[in-house]
Amino acid sequence: MGQLDRRNLLEGIASGFAGVAISAMLARDGLAGPSTVHGGLHHRPRARRVIELFMNGGASPMDTFDHKPALEKLHGQNLGPKVKPEGFTAMPGAIMKSPFSFRRHGQSGRWVSEVFPEQARLVDEMAFLMAMQSKTNVHGQGAYLMTTGFTLPGFPCMGSWISHALGNIADNLPTFVVLPDARGLPYNQQGCFSSGFLPAAHQGMVINAGAARPVPDLFPPPSFPFATREADADGLAMLSRLNRAHAERHPGDSRLASRVASYELAARMQASAPEAFDISREPAMAHKAYGVGEKPTDDFGRRCLLACRLVERGVRFVQVWSGPQGATNNWDNHGSIVRELPPMAASVDRPIAALLRDLRARGLDEDTLVVWTTEFGRTPFAQGSTGRDHNGGSFVSWLWGAGVKGGVSHGESDEWGYQAAVDKTTGHDMHATILHLLGIDHEKLTVRHNGIDRRLTDVHGKVIESVLA
Amino acid sequence: MTTVSGSAWLLIMLVTAAADDFHSRVEPVLKRHCLGCHSHAAGAMKGGLALDSRSGWARGGDSGPAIIPGKPAESLVIRAVRRSEGVKAMPPKGAIPEADIGILEDWIRQGAVDPRVLAPAKPVDWWSLRPLAKPEVPSGFAHPVDAFIATRLARSGLKPSPEADRATLIRRLHADLTGLPPTRAEIEAFVADPDPAAYGKLVDRLLASPRHAERWARHWLDVVHFAETHGYEHDLPRNNAWRYRDHVIESFHADKPWGRFIREQLAADHFFPGEIEARRALGFLGAGPFDHSAYTTARATFEYLDRDDLVNQTMTAFASTTASCARCHAHKFDPISQDDYYSLQAVFAGVVEGDIPLEVNAGVASMRVRWASLASAAKARDKSVLLSPANEAMAEESLGAAKSVRWTVLVPDSWKGTGGTTLERLPDQSLLAKGPRLEKDTYEINFMLPPGKFTAIRLEVLAHESLPMRGPGRCDNGNLHLSEFEARVVHAGNPAGEPVKFASATADFDQSGWDITRAIDGKDQTAWGIHPDVGRPHSAVFTLGKPMEGRPGSRLAVTLRQLHGGGHLIGRPRLSLTVDDPKGALILPEGVERARAVPRSERTEAQRLDLAAFALEIVARRELAALPESARVYAAGAKSEVVLAVGSGSAQETSRPRQVFVLRRGDLDKPGAEAMPGALSAVAAIPARFGIPKEAPESARRAALADWLASHSNPLTWRSIANRVWQHHFGRGICDTPGDFGRMGGEPSHPELLDWLACRLRDNGESLKDLHRVIVMSAAYRQVSANRGDAAAMDGDNRLVWRQNRRRLDADSYRDGVLSVSGCLDLTMGGPGAREFIAGPPVQLTPRVDYGAFDWASKPAHRRAIYRFVWRGIPDPFMEVLDFPDLGLLTPARASSSSALQALALYNNKFTLHFSGMLGKSIDASAKPDNQRAREAWSRVLGRLPDAREAAMAEQHVARHGTASLCRVLFNSHEFLFVE
Repeated sequence: MGQLDRRNLLEGIASGFAGVAISAMLARDGLAGPSTVHGGLHHRPRARRVIELFMNGGASPMDTFDHKPALEKLHGQNLGPKVKPEGFTAMPGAIMKSPFSFRRHGQSGRWVSEVFPEQARLVDEMAFLMAMQSKTNVHGQGAYLMTTGFTLPGFPCMGSWISHALGNIADNLPTFVVLPDARGLPYNQQGCFSSGFLPAAHQGMVINAGAARPVPDLFPPPSFPFATREADADGLAMLSRLNRAHAERHPGDSRLASRVASYELAARMQASAPEAFDISREPAMAHKAYGVGEKPTDDFGRRCLLACRLVERGVRFVQVWSGPQGATNNWDNHGSIVRELPPMAASVDRPIAALLRDLRARGLDEDTLVVWTTEFGRTPFAQGSTGRDHNGGSFVSWLWGAGVKGGVSHGESDEWGYQAAVDKTTGHDMHATILHLLGIDHEKLTVRHNGIDRRLTDVHGKVIESVLA
Repeated sequence: MTTVSGSAWLLIMLVTAAADDFHSRVEPVLKRHCLGCHSHAAGAMKGGLALDSRSGWARGGDSGPAIIPGKPAESLVIRAVRRSEGVKAMPPKGAIPEADIGILEDWIRQGAVDPRVLAPAKPVDWWSLRPLAKPEVPSGFAHPVDAFIATRLARSGLKPSPEADRATLIRRLHADLTGLPPTRAEIEAFVADPDPAAYGKLVDRLLASPRHAERWARHWLDVVHFAETHGYEHDLPRNNAWRYRDHVIESFHADKPWGRFIREQLAADHFFPGEIEARRALGFLGAGPFDHSAYTTARATFEYLDRDDLVNQTMTAFASTTASCARCHAHKFDPISQDDYYSLQAVFAGVVEGDIPLEVNAGVASMRVRWASLASAAKARDKSVLLSPANEAMAEESLGAAKSVRWTVLVPDSWKGTGGTTLERLPDQSLLAKGPRLEKDTYEINFMLPPGKFTAIRLEVLAHESLPMRGPGRCDNGNLHLSEFEARVVHAGNPAGEPVKFASATADFDQSGWDITRAIDGKDQTAWGIHPDVGRPHSAVFTLGKPMEGRPGSRLAVTLRQLHGGGHLIGRPRLSLTVDDPKGALILPEGVERARAVPRSERTEAQRLDLAAFALEIVARRELAALPESARVYAAGAKSEVVLAVGSGSAQETSRPRQVFVLRRGDLDKPGAEAMPGALSAVAAIPARFGIPKEAPESARRAALADWLASHSNPLTWRSIANRVWQHHFGRGICDTPGDFGRMGGEPSHPELLDWLACRLRDNGESLKDLHRVIVMSAAYRQVSANRGDAAAMDGDNRLVWRQNRRRLDADSYRDGVLSVSGCLDLTMGGPGAREFIAGPPVQLTPRVDYGAFDWASKPAHRRAIYRFVWRGIPDPFMEVLDFPDLGLLTPARASSSSALQALALYNNKFTLHFSGMLGKSIDASAKPDNQRAREAWSRVLGRLPDAREAAMAEQHVARHGTASLCRVLFNSHEFLFVE
């Protein structure tokens, strides 16, 4: 990052929409712009928008996508570690086979368990990362690592970095939208969508998709009778006159012009957001496909459909969370895989498949990347009788869409699915790959903070070439 | 003239030739293939290996020395490039040309002459580490600050800007010194004041105001990432954290000498043991995040990262140094070694986070010490204390008063964990739980009921080596939760049996909030627990409503429902019955009971100890419980003095500082030498290792670091704080990276001025208020903020301070400004944080927090922003959009952004609307005509009357939409948001 950008960060004298500079360059040069912009676009991007589906709690790999026949043979044997590893909540129990049956699917012959029948039909379009590894077995640290690249709080998340680097696609909508589970926030509360040391403008906008007024502060609440529609409009007009006059009296200060512009953008957002965030405008067929209005899928389906509408209208990055924090209703299935996992799987499977098909139908797969991930995997050892404990040793993620080679997989876990064994892949590698698809060299996207040039990928990460189309 | 012998000449020439050869032939090969991943210049030392100096390859990386001079075949570098068996092939991308390998082999064979040395970072070469000496002030100026500023400007052919008018100056002073706007009356009085000294008097008045302390405390709380919750996975409230915030405010108000401020925050307990209130300062050590989950399940990582955060916070806050960069390797840019870094970790190796009691009443304090030390002697079975005549007499007396109850241990004949827990009967008739630990379970245990009329059932939960923390529970922390205790008597002929009704229940220990009565309240969601008193047996007595009779063939079925989850299961239960009246009886463990039965004179020492330990612990606890509770502050300190953030009564945990090792590449699995408490070697004037004896109290370590920081010979400290003071008066520090004075930070625009200010602070009573006064009295401070074409062309950034900087109000100032202008500001100081949100029931442990539902008309809403209860992980979106910092990290300087979302929040958020309404109402109350209302709103919000054009606009708006609507517009105006 050049001197100018650093100053902008510290002083906020930036256009006010930091990143706009780079995205303006993107627009000017088209998608094939030359590569040497310092700190910005480094090569031709394959994707322009991203939807990240985050399974909160640690989705079990060996019960979903990572078929492990060895577990059947070893079921019930006490072969795990004899000392409790850091971050396990209990002593590992005996080896436990998956209670679900697996079948091969598609031309690629990918094994998928019976809990994901709908995603199973689309495996030829997905690129699987089969040997993801985390350096922690603790939710808070793990979720931070997969969203910000660090196990500590205070670092900007991927959506904020992307907002900072690329800015908006459409300026009448927010750049980075977060759709948490209706039942509550994930681990770390809002820490996983923080802009950290980047300016607040890059913060994830947290949307309560089920609320009557999903976008906070878009309009005044009805409890203030003086804030009528007319007063709103007249007030903004007067404010614009006042602020323009003030800016003229104080020349040479770009912040003032930028504030004037910010109110104009706000007005445009007021005009566009109600339509963009209103999924009732989608046809009944779409609602049905996503499972909106049906028991297990309603909330996640609603948010997937919303994510589709939002990226279609130019939101750059949408993060959809499955599951709140806590001991239930998420992917943290300590108590019983057979009891706790199927309802979670059922709540996301159909919506995810519908989302991918819908993106394709709308032609958005050309430049939209979809990422399915979680903070870590689970032990091949039983916890209690039928649960599984935290395990950063190995887990699965997949990529779909723009620039992604379908039907391939990268990496393998060991026989039990306990540790990544071949082509170990970290969250940093995944982030590096996502940035790469967006036209960004992850090693060059840096911001200096307290003595260190910080990156989303810390000092790690390499692009996973084998999953690129 | 010195002479050199012939042979020496030859040697020098040979070496020089070899060095030339290295540079011309070998170095290019290394550069081409190796240095991209193995050099300081590339910022990458993969595998821990640097090939950019002789010492780098001689020491080698993780696999050992990379080059063995004279032995190419044994050198790892050669084996790697030759892609030999058993060595990681290098470079990873592909083999290098044979010719290049040949060059390397020749060079190694000939002794691997390598003239390269890493330029050692010379401490004195860097501005921030140079000794601090008062620079000479350029002559010919009335004010030293102006002497430095104007001299520097003149060098660039520039002149300072003229002084701003008084209306501008009073608003600027109010904003900088107090964070609040002046009223229109104050502005008018100041503008009209004929006294030429009016400005200085205003400065003095504002500096003396508590509002000033509140404003500057906020800056400090940013620097130390103070919040009132843990952050991370479980963002739990710290209900006593606010006392640290109050301490900071009071310290600024009292203009506490800076060195004292440092010493209090790091080691008030050590330096000022008699000053209880000063201990609130230790909240500094507890300001940062706390990973509750990692603490309970991943302790080693937790300790390491937690200490790292403390080191980082302390060194950034007080010395503007980024020491934590040296966690994994020697600092790449600054002279900070890994040894230095781990020495700093060792300083904090003995502290734990939690609530520290603040005992203000000396009498209560001494009683508390007395009983607490007796309790810990009892726990440790310290016979020198327990068997003193006075104590033994006290034990005897307390036991003598206790009635004796004889218990009959029941023999279980069938039992099961209905969920699947395996229970194994031990010879003492207790049942030991084994096998996989379930989340929850219910134990059913059956007995033959002996003959007799029984009045009570006793449940013992016993310790065992196989249980976590020795039990008595199976949870990782040794705890258990008994949701319900149920019993049924089954007489012959009535197989269904009759439920036993309990009149009362008592236990020898109750976890706070989890007392024994909850096991008989009929509710599965409440339970009895024994945390943190784990690792030893406990017992509970359930007194029957009416006695139950054992007849021939009668059976007793006991059900232990343990449904809380999380593996809170009993590890080893045992049941007994009594026919005696248990009312008022002490619950005596078996050994004590037995010892008590032995006549006093015949007891063995072990028996006397059993009795005394048991009795005196009960006495001590009772006395402690009877003392009034003391105030607390969330902080950190020696373990013995802290009520832990996450309870842990683990007896294994020592109160001695843990050993800290230098970790190779920051890897917990690669410990090197033990690190001793110390600080930075680069500060040459002060010893960098503290030489603290191992037996010294833990606080001695923190005290030594405080002394190191507060030393007048430490140039970092005084430059750091002088720069911060300047920063908040000009919007930017003289060094514009206030948290980093290293090579990655900025260099000062006016190094002599910074040194002069630092010396002024250091040598003038360490008074911050004096430094404020010096700065704001300067002409440089009083300049107009207007842009000037000539100067902007040369220094658009205003680094040379040819004008004052226009600054946007930060989140706190905006909020306080709106409250103040609308007449709603409540200036009450101190106390627990104002909760401006609605907290709902937690999903897990962290409450749901709804800021949008908060009613701004409610009372706590009107305090200054610094008194808000601040969540670390759930920020107030309104404050956040105005760049209130993420308190997961240290914030030496806030950002100041603008965005559409900020515009929407300022225009539509309930906060602005509510107080626009309040201000509108208060203006309307005087029932003025529209034009006067408009003028009144204008002058209250902006501190001036509108001009004719503005007045027309405003009047029209008031006529159509009311006064409140105009106030809303003005609260969004540039003029309100920016200070000139």
